[in-house]
Amino acid sequence: MWRYIVRRLLWVVVVMLVVTSITFLVFFVLPSTDPAVTFAGKNPTPEQVAEVRHQFGLDKPVPVQYLLFIKHIFLGDQYGWPGLGFSYSTRSPVRDQFFGRVIVTVQLAVGAALVWLCIGIPIGIISAIKRRTLVDRLSMGFALFFVSAPVFWLGLMGLWLFWYKLRISPGTGYVSWGTSFGDWLSHMILPWIVLALLYAAFYARMTRGNLIETMGQDYIRTARVKGLSESKVIFKHGLRASLTPVVTLIGLDLGALLGGAVITETVFNLQGVGQWTVNSVFQGDLPVILAVTVVVAIAVTLMNLVVDIVYAYLDPRVRYN
Amino acid sequence: MGKRRQRLRLVGLALAVALVAAACGGGDNESGGTTQQATAQKGGVLRTSLTDFGWVNGFDPTGEYLAFAWTIYGAMSRSLLGTKHIANAPGNELFPDLAADMPQISSDGLTYTFKLKPGIKFGPPVNRVITSKDVAYAFQRINTAPLVAQYGFYYFGVVKGMDGKAKSADQPISGIETPDDQTIIFHLVKPTGDFLYRAFMPATAPIPQEVAKCFTKAGDYGRYVISSGPYMIQGSDKLDISSCKAMKPISGFDPSRELKLVRNPNYDQATDNLRSNYVDAMDLTINTNVDDIFNKVQAGQLDSSIVEPPPKPVLQQYVTDPAKKPYLHSNSSDATSYIYLNLTTPPFDDINVRKAANWIMDKAAIQQAYGGTTLGDVATHIWPPIVLGDRLGPDYNPYATPGNHGDEAKAKEAMKQSKYDTNKDGICDASQCKNLVMINRNYSPYSEAEPVVVSSLEKIGIQVKPRELATSAAYTTVQTVKNNIPIGMNARWGKDYADPYTFAVLFISAGISATGNNNFALVGLTPQQASEFGVKLPSGAQIPSVDADIDGCQKVSNAQPDQRNDCFANVDKKLMEQVVPWVPYLWQRQITVTAPSMTKFEFDQFSGYLSITQVAVNNKATVPS
Repeated sequence: MWRYIVRRLLWVVVVMLVVTSITFLVFFVLPSTDPAVTFAGKNPTPEQVAEVRHQFGLDKPVPVQYLLFIKHIFLGDQYGWPGLGFSYSTRSPVRDQFFGRVIVTVQLAVGAALVWLCIGIPIGIISAIKRRTLVDRLSMGFALFFVSAPVFWLGLMGLWLFWYKLRISPGTGYVSWGTSFGDWLSHMILPWIVLALLYAAFYARMTRGNLIETMGQDYIRTARVKGLSESKVIFKHGLRASLTPVVTLIGLDLGALLGGAVITETVFNLQGVGQWTVNSVFQGDLPVILAVTVVVAIAVTLMNLVVDIVYAYLDPRVRYN
Repeated sequence: MGKRRQRLRLVGLALAVALVAAACGGGDNESGGTTQQATAQKGGVLRTSLTDFGWVNGFDPTGEYLAFAWTIYGAMSRSLLGTKHIANAPGNELFPDLAADMPQISSDGLTYTFKLKPGIKFGPPVNRVITSKDVAYAFQRINTAPLVAQYGFYYFGVVKGMDGKAKSADQPISGIETPDDQTIIFHLVKPTGDFLYRAFMPATAPIPQEVAKCFTKAGDYGRYVISSGPYMIQGSDKLDISSCKAMKPISGFDPSRELKLVRNPNYDQATDNLRSNYVDAMDLTINTNVDDIFNKVQAGQLDSSIVEPPPKPVLQQYVTDPAKKPYLHSNSSDATSYIYLNLTTPPFDDINVRKAANWIMDKAAIQQAYGGTTLGDVATHIWPPIVLGDRLGPDYNPYATPGNHGDEAKAKEAMKQSKYDTNKDGICDASQCKNLVMINRNYSPYSEAEPVVVSSLEKIGIQVKPRELATSAAYTTVQTVKNNIPIGMNARWGKDYADPYTFAVLFISAGISATGNNNFALVGLTPQQASEFGVKLPSGAQIPSVDADIDGCQKVSNAQPDQRNDCFANVDKKLMEQVVPWVPYLWQRQITVTAPSMTKFEFDQFSGYLSITQVAVNNKATVPS
């Protein structure tokens, strides 16, 4: 198992190198705009453009720029480790801004994941057990509705109802839990629920489908014949097998969400990674785009590894030796 | 917030799954509040939000060229001269600020002598009296190449010894003398009629060398700006200036989240008759959701919007609801939105085609796409009226058409005289009129106005292929001269200061550069420049120039504003009638929505945004630490 983990971690490094080189090529070698011109002002002299190019390090040969970038990622730069460079737009280290924002994004993603698991999986189970009953129809209606409802619409409707009308939500924005735990929670609940509803619907449908399929297996019939209680049959034998694809999905979804739930962050004014990335794309702030790409690539590959390891514990047939 | 109330909120939110049913129900509108504004009083915190600071030089005053930053500097710093931070033409008038009086100007217009008011101090942690050397140091920073002073061109070649090539801000400038702590003398290379405005720009406000010397690259000083005005960045007093290494960014400014200003304890109101400084503090936060900003203004959680215009449905409410109308403020931005026509590229190398484009354009429809008359007035010439001292009057419109909807007959008449209309039917039939790349921005209102421009030009046979790009990409594409972009509608230019020269810079041939060029129509491009920048001129093409006209106007001092404005008004007329580089379509207006808690609203005509030092609020907010 350990050899497997080490091998996979080495693959993470390879993936990161591939992703960074492609991103670097796209953003630094084939940019849609010249960052030096963009950030030299609206009426720059050629000397000013050259000065900005020099300060951004864009006057060095491209391979040198790339190697410096990789070196800074692994060994750190003047602003600390990992060296993610310097934002053209805010003229401050990307690293500090990234860590300030990723905390918000992680809280949003993890909180929403807990909510959608708490809603989606029970609904899926109930729906599978009570197949073709009113409960099943209502559950799947719920799933269909939220799968179809765009997140921005849910967010705006949520704000309209709970903030503008009922005045039970404090509105948008982020308050750190260090400032006030109650304020933090009340600011996060609505974004969690809005983001979670979409995913909960997916998870409910998936859990239902997998559980129905599993409950038709021979070993389930055997378990029942052996006289096990129905709850034991469902939760110990049925659910464990049917949840393995769900675990895969959680890993991928969480990894992707670390890149930012752009719409949720924007609607609720949570200044996380996603919304920052979008702004940076509009501004042509390439070091920020590059940093987020690298970190998200690492997060997704690491989450994949975690999923594979958890898989081995959940499914006795999976062994990596 | 009480614990019980918090619990209630949490319980309420737990019911959020009922969202669908409730969301489908109807509801009434937001209440508008009172329409009467109370008397201005001191106190309170000005709470406002914008979607992004968007600094272009990290908020370092030496290089920051974003007008919104200038509205903040107006509250934080004092230049030799200043404005009253109020709306319309009076808001563009100059008065002594740091200077005790208006300067003495030598008879040849080459020497300006200013005397400083005594006893004005920098804010914490510097806490010392401002001297003429601090003003000279601000100019030395402008002259320093690594600091990339983005509007340094107003000083390079104007003040003796300033060329923007100094390696370090320590290097004195030969054309600036500081014979004593109260006196500063500027020696100019040539008479520059608008030098008083140049000596008032935020980059020229005093900067303490003991702090700024630590920041030697563009934008680095932005998080350490020391106040010389009524407000300072919250936490400035905690800045440790014992050494460069000890300095950490001032806590009240996070470039990606917020900027908090509080009163500068060293400021003496008695020395300042330009600012009222009603509010105790300002809490400026980033809010990524524009709708949310306006919802918060309506809910009283913010006192005002500041940069973004309201979304159209919100604007509609304020325009139509008499109870809300008093809270909608529409002020001239002194900016022109325009379509540029490249004088070197067929078919726009033919003045008749350019005139036809002006005649055919449905400017009223473009205005509608932008959001109607509240957001801007139809532009009938290049300079916005206030910048030109309104010398052309409201009736000057060389391409006047019924209802500003364009005039097909007159456009075709002009096109008939063009070499690109071979059968003289008023419709361009040459291949040069087909598939012309037109640069545009990829968001509203530009994208909404685009079909109007496309269909207008089609009526005279000009077929453009819009290429929509992000703002920076659109600008850099057209700013690169060798790209030879024939036409674009991404452009908007606002004044830097209230002198017509700040628009004239767009038409000076010497300003054309290979990259970063702003003379998009290439007015005055010389054959040498064409060859240097890779522009292929059509055979026999003579690119008209207004260089001599602008030089002539620059010799008229802005101590004689009417003469100076008349001179530039003639340049405007010449450009519109004899050169025709643009189709100007909108003089934009800045829209601000305020809450009832803002008891006095004022607009700063210089920066083009709400005036921080002249507004008053009545709220019990405190700036969070």
